[in-house]
Amino acid sequence: MEPSSSLPTEQRAPRRSFLAAAGSIVIGGLITLTPLFAGLAFFMDPLLRRRAPFKGGDAEGFLAVTNLSDLPEDGTPLRFVLRADKVDAWNEFKDQSIGTVYLRKLPGNQIVAFNDTCPHLGCKVDYQEASKTFLCPCHASAFQLDGEPMNKIPPRRLDTLESKTDPDGKVWIKYQDFQCGVEKKGAV
Amino acid sequence: MRRGKEGGCLMNALLNWLDHRTGYRTLMHEALNEPIPGGAKWKYVWGSTLTFVFAVQVITGFFLWSAYSPSTLTAWESVYYIQNVMSYGWLVRGIHHFAAQAMMILLGLHFMQVIIAGAYRAPREVNFWLGLVLMQIVLGLSLTGYLLPWDQKGYYATKVATNIVGVTPMIGPQLQQIAQGGTSYGHHTLTRFFALHAGVFPALLVGFLALHIFVFRRHGITVSKSDETKPVGTFWPDQVLMDAVACLGVLATILFFTVWKGAELTGPADSSEAYSAARPEWYFLFLFRFLKIEEVDKLGLAFGALYVPGAIMGVIALMPFIGHWKLGHRFNIAFTFALLAGATFLTAIALKEDAADKNYQAAVKAAEFEGHRAAELAKEFGIPPTGALSLLKEDARIQGPKLFARHCSSCHRYNGHNGLDQVRMKEVEENGHKVKVEEPATAADLGEFGSRKWITNVLTNYNSTFEPLKHAGEKGEKFLDGEMAGWVKENAETLKKSENVGSMQSLVEFLVSQGGRKEMQPFDPVLVAAGKEIFKTGKLASGSFTTNCSDCHALKPADGSESLGEGAGPGYPTLTGYASQQWLTEFVKNPAHDSFYGSERNLMPAFESKLSDKELKHLIDWMVGEYFQSK
Repeated sequence: MEPSSSLPTEQRAPRRSFLAAAGSIVIGGLITLTPLFAGLAFFMDPLLRRRAPFKGGDAEGFLAVTNLSDLPEDGTPLRFVLRADKVDAWNEFKDQSIGTVYLRKLPGNQIVAFNDTCPHLGCKVDYQEASKTFLCPCHASAFQLDGEPMNKIPPRRLDTLESKTDPDGKVWIKYQDFQCGVEKKGAV
Repeated sequence: MRRGKEGGCLMNALLNWLDHRTGYRTLMHEALNEPIPGGAKWKYVWGSTLTFVFAVQVITGFFLWSAYSPSTLTAWESVYYIQNVMSYGWLVRGIHHFAAQAMMILLGLHFMQVIIAGAYRAPREVNFWLGLVLMQIVLGLSLTGYLLPWDQKGYYATKVATNIVGVTPMIGPQLQQIAQGGTSYGHHTLTRFFALHAGVFPALLVGFLALHIFVFRRHGITVSKSDETKPVGTFWPDQVLMDAVACLGVLATILFFTVWKGAELTGPADSSEAYSAARPEWYFLFLFRFLKIEEVDKLGLAFGALYVPGAIMGVIALMPFIGHWKLGHRFNIAFTFALLAGATFLTAIALKEDAADKNYQAAVKAAEFEGHRAAELAKEFGIPPTGALSLLKEDARIQGPKLFARHCSSCHRYNGHNGLDQVRMKEVEENGHKVKVEEPATAADLGEFGSRKWITNVLTNYNSTFEPLKHAGEKGEKFLDGEMAGWVKENAETLKKSENVGSMQSLVEFLVSQGGRKEMQPFDPVLVAAGKEIFKTGKLASGSFTTNCSDCHALKPADGSESLGEGAGPGYPTLTGYASQQWLTEFVKNPAHDSFYGSERNLMPAFESKLSDKELKHLIDWMVGEYFQSK
């Protein structure tokens, strides 16, 4: 092959040329990927950092909801709003609704607490007085009073929450949200 | 070409397929095999570094965008959150912040290289002008970006810029209001600036950069006469390597500053609070100083801020034509260097003046402290829906010193300054010249008020503690010659005796414990009890007082026990709860009250009607250390 004037460097010093090419690619990659990786790491913030969605409650994170005596004796579920200081990124909103729960009182002053979020896809279930069931308005998930599913739509039973009753008869709930759409109940 | 491996064949087939559809090989060839007469050179790297830094800004800018919230109640807050809370936020914001500054420097270097090489001359005039347009867009990006954190620094610097827009002849006010989204700064200033910064300007920059590079490739690189005859090199790989190494250097510098200094965030913007550290970013400092030159100032803002920069840009734009004349190229180079020298000179003066200005330095420190304090409070308490500014407005640590400077520092000092680390100055005539001298205090320095040191000083060095009162006229002199002053003269020697070290300590401990101030705790109960006896009986380890404390001063001990004295009447200050929050509040409200100095002896104005309850609380809380302190 005749030395071509358009490719003089390559012809004269192929090794030097290879080193230059390799160096360009390595350094070029490094300088582009540095800001990109920094940015991607920043974007992954929700996975890298756990954030409490609210502040408040007692040492174990229980929130006072109502009095035992305010719950119907026949076990009819009642919906309650939980209030705490809501944390949203940099903001802290004092005394806000952070979620709603259904409470039932069973014989022996046993408390059953349901997170009223449907485990299917996250709409709020409603208690139907006539049929004594919980019904989801979105995709017709239905649950019995004890939270067991009545059709195949929801992947699991209604999510129960930890509760406790103090000596003054106050009912406390540990509020949590759970991953929707999966069989296993897991806190998010 | 024959390939030994099946994979190579497949890869080749795939690339052939792609090339057939896109023609990428020709494109790559065009892009990489640009001929460079004389070969690769370091001086050709500046354009590439600029393009690289712009790419860095696009990348980091996108990620910052994903966390930034443009409104007056959320801009500072979201930037605080990016910088201080989110993972790697400091890194991404730091890169963006320092890359913006690197861009200004590289812009200068690229411009100089173009002028020196004569790359603006025919047939490259249009590309030169495209470059000037790009320069304006970069300036626009830097200006709009500076406001977005909505901190004091960016807020006041940008205000100057929009007010300059407002003095444009004919359409100034309209232009300013369009830019601001109203007659004053607010939500819409941020939404507009953000739309320009993240949307319009980057899009324009991409468009003009593409044109710039396209036209550049059409005419090729400008090389010196001697290189024209040398063998031709190509862009790939030698020049690319040099460009890459230069970009690496730029990135390393940016990262160095990010780690070393970090992007600054001063306190949240506050239109009600003067910001005496207001300065533009360093690369505009020359313009700031230029406008301050008396002769320039006399000719009006429009002259200095619009006509002169406009004329300079005009000369620069005409450089391709000027370059046609004999000596024209030399003129252009001389003009560029003169500009550079002038800007450097003005920048140096501005920096020198600021370095010598103690009050400016104090204002800078205060602004930094406010940013730090706001972040600290936000971290501890979260930010209320009314924004981070309300955290500072409710914080005694921030408001106390400001109130002290405004209401107290005309007479008192706080550790020698006015509460805000500034020295109070006044103008006096000296040999027919007006000179600024430090204004003497006329009342005690309250930096140590209520501490053990303060009490010790009052008991043993009364007249030096209250020395400034000698400037306070007749009443002040009377104060320094009053009964307490006399008592100290009679008893200081006894108190200072080496046998009485314990007695002295006890009395001080007893008095300081009366205020119960958190920052003075813990109190030694043994000393307090011994001090109480001394207060009552005047008996020291060696000797005793000429007059007992309790003979003149009323004091109902903090431990709830029986009163130690009823006081000698109006003008003998009560020491019940001495120097506590409550004692000090009552005192400041009305020092002429009978249980303090009494109307006969008092010199201090009553602040009951001068300060609101909230202001009074902030002032006193700060003085007694009642505010959130991080560990």
